[in-house]
Amino acid sequence: MNGILIRIFAFALFVLPTADVLSQSAGTGSGRATALNELTGYWVSVVNEDWRLRMIVPDPRDYLTLPLNLQGSKAADAWDPAKDVAAGEQCKSYGAPAIMRVPGRLHIYWQDDNTLRIDTDSGTQTRLLHFEGAPPPTTTRGWQGYSSASWVGQKPLSTAGAGRPPSQGTLPGRQSALDRRQDVDTGQGQLRVFTTRLRAGYLRKNGVPYSAEATLEEYFDRFTAPNGDTWLNVTIIVTDPQYLVEPYITNAHFKKIPDRAGWDPTPCRVDQPR
Amino acid sequence: MRVRKAACARNAWWCLPILVTLQCGSAWAQVDLTGEWAPRKYNDHRDIGDYTGIPLNEAGKLRAASWEPNQVDLPENICRRHPPELGFRVGPSDLSIDKELDKTTRQIIAYHIHSYFSEETIWMDGRPRPSEYALHKQAGFSTGRWEGNTLVVTTTHLKEGYLTRAGVPRSSKATVTKRINRYGDFLTMVFIVEDPVYLEEPYVGSETWVNAPDQVVSPFACEPVAEGAILPAGKVPSYLPEKNDAIDEFATEFGIPPDAAKGGAETTYPEYIEKMKTMKKLLRTTKSHYQRQG
Repeated sequence: MNGILIRIFAFALFVLPTADVLSQSAGTGSGRATALNELTGYWVSVVNEDWRLRMIVPDPRDYLTLPLNLQGSKAADAWDPAKDVAAGEQCKSYGAPAIMRVPGRLHIYWQDDNTLRIDTDSGTQTRLLHFEGAPPPTTTRGWQGYSSASWVGQKPLSTAGAGRPPSQGTLPGRQSALDRRQDVDTGQGQLRVFTTRLRAGYLRKNGVPYSAEATLEEYFDRFTAPNGDTWLNVTIIVTDPQYLVEPYITNAHFKKIPDRAGWDPTPCRVDQPR
Repeated sequence: MRVRKAACARNAWWCLPILVTLQCGSAWAQVDLTGEWAPRKYNDHRDIGDYTGIPLNEAGKLRAASWEPNQVDLPENICRRHPPELGFRVGPSDLSIDKELDKTTRQIIAYHIHSYFSEETIWMDGRPRPSEYALHKQAGFSTGRWEGNTLVVTTTHLKEGYLTRAGVPRSSKATVTKRINRYGDFLTMVFIVEDPVYLEEPYVGSETWVNAPDQVVSPFACEPVAEGAILPAGKVPSYLPEKNDAIDEFATEFGIPPDAAKGGAETTYPEYIEKMKTMKKLLRTTKSHYQRQG
C-alpha cells in the first residue's frame, strides 16, 4: 500500500510542475491565459533618471550618452521643429522607441485575449502588443509600428520562496524578517516585445533620429518594492543600422497608481517635454 | 543493502519521473549571470548641484549642498571604494561576476561581483542577516534569491555613502534592493534605494552591461596618503548652509529652475512639468556646455 502511495506521489511530483512549465514554453493558450505577470492597470512615470533630458526639452545638439554615428549626428543637427509642425509630424518624438521615456501615465489593459494595449496620456498614443507572432505582410508603418509580444520566465513553484530554484532552497526558519517580507512578491516573468514597421522618428525631443529601419526590443518587468509599492521597469533596446553605432539601451520606471486620477491627455507637441 | 538495491531496480520506472522532475527544476531560474560585462552608460552624468530626479528630503538637500569636491582627497576618503549601488553605475564599471559553489553539494553559496570601484558578495545560501549592530561596510551585507529568472538582491549594513559622485548622501540606515536580469547578451540591474534619513521616496536607478568575454577588470589601484599631503592637516572641506556658490551652476547652464534641480519626490512626477512653468529660472549665460555627444 505504501509503495502505491509513494508511486502516486512521485507521479504527481512529475506531472504538476512539468505541465506548468510546458504550458509556458510551448505558448499554448492566449497571451492572456499564459500571462506570467500582471501588467494591467494605471501607471505613472517616475523620472529618476535622465531628468534634464526628459522633464525639459533638451537643447539642440545635446546628444550626451547617445551612440550616434556621423549620419545620425548630422540628421540631429538639422532638427527644425517648425518643419515638423508644417509637415504634420509633431508625433515624431512619441514613437514606440521613445514613448516609454516620455513623462506621463500609462493605461495597460487587454483589448482581447491576444492583444495587450497600452494607452499613453502624453501624445495620446496607443500601442498594441500582439501575442500572435509576426506582423501580417500588409502592415503599414506607423509611429508605434507592429509589436509582437511573448512571455519569458516561469511561474514560481509556490508563493513563498517565489521561484527560488529547488537546488537553492532556503530553510524558512533561517530567513530574516526583511527577507521573509520580500518573499511575498509578484514578479514571475517578463513580457518581451519586439517592434518593427516603424515610421522614422526621434529618440529624444531635440531631434535625435531613429530611422524606419530601426527595431525595438523591450522587456517589461513588474515587481513589488520592499515598501509595498508596485513598480514596472521597462528595458528598452533600440537598434538602428542607419543612425546608431550600437544598440541604445535605457530603462523607464513606472509606479502603479490606483486609478485614472491625473490622466492628462495631450496632443503631440514639438516644444513640450510631454 | 543488496535487497534494497534490487527493489529499487525493480521499481525504477517510478524513480524516473522524480529524476526528470529534478532535472526540470534545476533548469528553472538558472540564468547564468557569470562572466565579464562591459557597461553601457546611457544614463545620468551628474554635475555638482544636479540632484534632478532624486527624491531627496530636506535633510538630504542640505547635506548634498554642503558637499565640497575636495572631500575625496581627505586621507580617510582617498582609497574609499564606492558602495555597489554607486560603483556599478559610474565609470569604470566593468563587471566580472563569478559564483562560489559548495564543493560537496554543488549548490551556489554566493555570487561575487567585482568592478573597479566596488566589490560585492551576494550570499545565496540562506545565511541569516547579521544583527543591526553588526559592522557596517562599504558593500554592506547582501543576500540573493530568485524570482523566476530575476535575481533579487537585498543589501543592508551599508556604511554611509553617496548616491552620486557629486555628493548626494545615502545613510547607513538605507536598504538597497537590486533586480538583476539577463536578456541574451545584456545584463540589466535596477537599483531601489530606500533611505529613511535622506529620501522622501525610494530612488530607482538602472544600468545595463553587454557581455564581453575578453574583458579584464582592472584592480583597484590606490595609494593611501598621509594627512597633510594634499589638503592642510585638520582641514575638512565643506560648505555651510546657503554658502555653496557652485550649487546653482548646473541649473543656470541648463535653464532649469534652481529649486527643481535640488530634487525632491514631487519633481519626479510628470505634473511637475506644469509647475516648473511658473517657477523662477536664472539667466543663462552660455550654451557651450550643450555641445555634448556620447
